[in-house]
Amino acid sequence: GKEKANELHSEMSAFDSTAFAEDLLTFMGINRTEVEETNDSEDVPADFLPSHAWQKMGEEALKYFRRAPTFHYMMGSFKSESPVRKQRIE
Amino acid sequence: VDCIPTQVERHSQDQVNQKVNELVQFLLVKDQKKIPIKRTDILKNVIWEYKNAYSEIVKKADKILQEVFGLQLVEIDSKRHIYILVNKLLHAEGQHLCRGKEKEKMGLLLVILSFIFMKGNSVKDSTLWEFLHLLRVYPGRQHSVFGDVRKLVTEEFVPGGHPHPLTEPPEFKFQWGPRAEKETSKKDVLNFVAKMQGKEPAFWASQYSEANQGTA
Amino acid sequence: MAAHMTNAHRRFLQVLMSNRITEGSEARKLHQHCCETDKVYYAHDKLDDFISTINSHLQPLFMQIRKGISEDDGRAHYAVVNLAETEVTKMASDYTEMELELFRKTMDLIILSENGFASSTDILNLADQLKTKKMKKKEAEQVLKVFVEDKWLSEKNGEYTLHTRCIIEMEQYILSYYQDLAKKCNLCHSLAIQSQVCESCGIGMHLPCARKYFRGQTEPRCPKCNEFWSCDTPGVNRMGSQT
Ligand SMILES: [Zn+2]
Ligand SMILES: [Zn+2]
Repeated sequence: GKEKANELHSEMSAFDSTAFAEDLLTFMGINRTEVEETNDSEDVPADFLPSHAWQKMGEEALKYFRRAPTFHYMMGSFKSESPVRKQRIE
Repeated sequence: VDCIPTQVERHSQDQVNQKVNELVQFLLVKDQKKIPIKRTDILKNVIWEYKNAYSEIVKKADKILQEVFGLQLVEIDSKRHIYILVNKLLHAEGQHLCRGKEKEKMGLLLVILSFIFMKGNSVKDSTLWEFLHLLRVYPGRQHSVFGDVRKLVTEEFVPGGHPHPLTEPPEFKFQWGPRAEKETSKKDVLNFVAKMQGKEPAFWASQYSEANQGTA
Repeated sequence: MAAHMTNAHRRFLQVLMSNRITEGSEARKLHQHCCETDKVYYAHDKLDDFISTINSHLQPLFMQIRKGISEDDGRAHYAVVNLAETEVTKMASDYTEMELELFRKTMDLIILSENGFASSTDILNLADQLKTKKMKKKEAEQVLKVFVEDKWLSEKNGEYTLHTRCIIEMEQYILSYYQDLAKKCNLCHSLAIQSQVCESCGIGMHLPCARKYFRGQTEPRCPKCNEFWSCDTPGVNRMGSQT
């Protein structure tokens, strides 16, 4: 109710890229672990994206594209044809 | 002075049809890398002496692409005659049509296109990199999925016709490329942003009205 | 021209094209899915007709949906293949000339081998003998990985063989290019990359073909020379083995 009314307020409708990024990370399943006080390894970030994060985003993204599938083959792509065919040497 | 007979090449319908089939193959092969296809390449590699039948051959190739593959040949630059292939099937099986790395790249691409559109159709390159930072994607640093992201954007997405750099030194800006307009739409992209942010598309008033222009 | 294409046919072709290779049961499911999505008549036993409609339209383009049998498990698979070799098809951009040369050298090793496998060591040793351009071992390793990902090769414990996708597309090419060096299965008479070979007369059989042939026999014997079949055929209960 109240929030909805706020949202519709024109001042609120500027695009907030930080919020967008946060929402994208959430969608990709970011693991937001609390930063512990006794942090002995400083290289480890406080949060991390699972390995399939962008896979998930890609799957969602494809719903918004009219992307044509591509055709791939091996036969017929060899550029130089060796003139001598392989034969058993007897 | 001898009268030079105008050599109006007449080709049989069979010959033209063979050229049409060759062109379909050529378009499928050229689309493997998603780089837009130029008229000059079509002429040079397939049509050559059939130049006077060019538009007939292109039209027929498009018809075959539609009838057999559900694809469409779309001209993205009508001055220089540059084409791409897009999917014509409604609710195409997106999840099947791209795999592995390609799928992940499409994810990044949609995020970038969304960002450009939402920021008013053009962003400075530094602004884009800053935004990608928030997504743990750092240009110049090796990403586990995308490798060198700056290279991916400038050497693959841009030549592919998706984002398009506006080079007006000293500022380097990105906007949508001609492929983006055909392969997706502002309306689709706004729907994606709205879904991600859990809001109605109309929440962003100016983007909403822009996205609905010409579609009403 | 045969029956006309519907959106279901196009959808099926699109997915098959991007799948690279599709297992039979998956293809049957996809057939149903496509017919339902596009509201087209569906009959579960009409997959072959459905495919031949598509093939009649692909034929002028020198393309085809082809069915092949996996040498590992004997199951049917489908792949969309290219049948032409022209200036246009040579423009394929998936692999560089050097990568293609490594692929063909690998294919040589596999086909000329006893068991249909080439070790990664042997393949990597070829990398610095390429005519196009010498390749570093690390680079070659990466290229092999891509060939496996793209389903041209398959790998088992550091040994490489041709993937079913490759056999489906290249069977005719291999048979004509390697002529009598390419082995054929004594039972189904098609190309056999991995095969069981009779110790006494030298004929070969696909593992799934042998399994079918020996089923129910307590003492498997060679179909040609009638000697005792000495290869172990998993899935066949032979005398002395546990039942
Ligand atoms: Zn066999
Ligand atoms: Zn024998």
